[in-house]
Amino acid sequence: MAEYSRLAQGSFISTGQAKVIQIPFKPEYIEMVNYTATFEAPTSQAVVSAKWFAAMGQGFAVEQVYDATPDLVVDAVIANGFSTFSAGQLLQYGPTLVVTVVSKAAAAAVTTSTAHGLSSGDVVIFQGLFETSTTGMPQINGIPFTVTVTGATTFTIPWNTNQSNYTAISVATTGAPTVKKVLYPYLYFPGQTFISNITLGTTTTIDTTDAHNFVVGQEVAFRIPSQWGTVQLNSLPNTLVPGSPVYGYVIAVTDYNTVVVNIDSSAYTTFNSNQTVASVPGLSYPQIVAVGDVNTGGVQISSGSQLYPPPYYVPIGTTRVNTINGPAIQGAYVNNTAQGFIIGIGTGVNQTSSVLVGTEGDVIHWRAQLNDLLLP
Amino acid sequence: MRQAEDLILRDYIVSAASEINAGGGSNGFNPTNLGTSDFSLVATTLDTNNAYKFMTGIEGMDRFGTGPVRNCYFMLSSTELQSDFDALVGNVGVLNQWSYASNTSALPTEWGNVFNIRILTSSEGPVARNAATNNLGATADVYYNTVLGKQAVTHINQDGDSMKLIYRDEYYSGMLAQNCTLAVRFSQAQAITQDTAIRNLLCTRNSALAA
Repeated sequence: MAEYSRLAQGSFISTGQAKVIQIPFKPEYIEMVNYTATFEAPTSQAVVSAKWFAAMGQGFAVEQVYDATPDLVVDAVIANGFSTFSAGQLLQYGPTLVVTVVSKAAAAAVTTSTAHGLSSGDVVIFQGLFETSTTGMPQINGIPFTVTVTGATTFTIPWNTNQSNYTAISVATTGAPTVKKVLYPYLYFPGQTFISNITLGTTTTIDTTDAHNFVVGQEVAFRIPSQWGTVQLNSLPNTLVPGSPVYGYVIAVTDYNTVVVNIDSSAYTTFNSNQTVASVPGLSYPQIVAVGDVNTGGVQISSGSQLYPPPYYVPIGTTRVNTINGPAIQGAYVNNTAQGFIIGIGTGVNQTSSVLVGTEGDVIHWRAQLNDLLLP
Repeated sequence: MRQAEDLILRDYIVSAASEINAGGGSNGFNPTNLGTSDFSLVATTLDTNNAYKFMTGIEGMDRFGTGPVRNCYFMLSSTELQSDFDALVGNVGVLNQWSYASNTSALPTEWGNVFNIRILTSSEGPVARNAATNNLGATADVYYNTVLGKQAVTHINQDGDSMKLIYRDEYYSGMLAQNCTLAVRFSQAQAITQDTAIRNLLCTRNSALAA
């Protein structure tokens, strides 16, 4: 029974952080060998090899690891071991976490009641940000935010809550402040993104709540509901060419959530994110939207560069994450759906300082398979 | 058949088209449940943007319980919202498709019409489960209703490679002739051809009707 089974294998050099492996299926069996650990002198807590069967459950693993002696022993990983993913559909979320604090700050600081397990660059949405039935921060419910992790239970988001209509979340008396991770925020990009701030001037600087994934040359349009102020950016009407949309072009990409657009907004109305709590039912959000499908005319090739680099997204800072697609034109629309598995940073139940994915520089070989017969 | 293609196009539109939150309902969530004013607002937005309507109107006839239908855009919605649409019947501008003066142009999946919008429903309509919360801590699903004009989106079969239904009998599918192969292969791309002619109208359900 192997007509329809699928096999894949490969290797990578560990960075000491969880490693995402994209393959054309969702495996039911994974094994890995830390080749570096096999020829180095035995070292306490070094993981030599590990396996995972789907029936174990997500995040588990069985590993061979050196104990303190150091003798090679068998141990289990019960969290952050191997896990599989199928990033094919939008609107999927992780577990709901209780939010205990949201501060009033230029970059609001969030505290969760338990460890959030997020990484910087992950995207979350909030719900129920009411301190009382009429106060709090429900203005930002439902907006996707990129997080910058500051601790096991803390992170910040790119939104200025230090404004008069926002009340800090500290001891919520009504509502149920929660947050959950958006599992696959960038399956399709560039697309539509919410705006957190607009700096007016001879060029216009746009800050977004999560990664815009625009490139220089990207054509963009705006949707600014009237209560947010800068309605002059809206695509229609165009007073110069009646009936024609007004579009801008990205002339600089500062980082994952900031772009500069070639629109002179010096005389436009100031952007206002200080929305009232009372406005929330029915409140629509300001958005910037990618338009056009071929924007930059291709990828600049220079000496030593990859001839046909895959399209990438930028989840945080200026860090580029390649998709499995390619080659592609920069700025063109990308489908980033994917399947595969993750080798995590889980520790052993007994060898509590071991790390499944190894330490930085370790050479890891892996093999994954999907069986055409799985019993029971 | 063709369901996978539709899901891809659906998710693409959720990612790439701009959003309007419903505010015409009264359930206290953001977005609210749908009110007739939400349909009017979206249709007005598309009209202002010079979007082309899909359907010409249906002239009124001398038949009890029927009414004329305006020229319309299409709205693609989840079947889970049908009870909310039913609750709107009786409001000015709302017609179930059975109440069209002539429903010869009604599509099999068409629920009916509100002002300048004709509503098509599907069980695959995009839904973000438990994505909205009100000030009492209750949660609600958020529905993405795509309202679009004729020039809004297109679907491209790349290099003329349209969908192919592949069938291989057991002798070609394995050495032991135990299994047949039935598959669909397609290479395709989607594009929003006019971004001003498409909006996702987000809404929750009427709490009184929620299951």
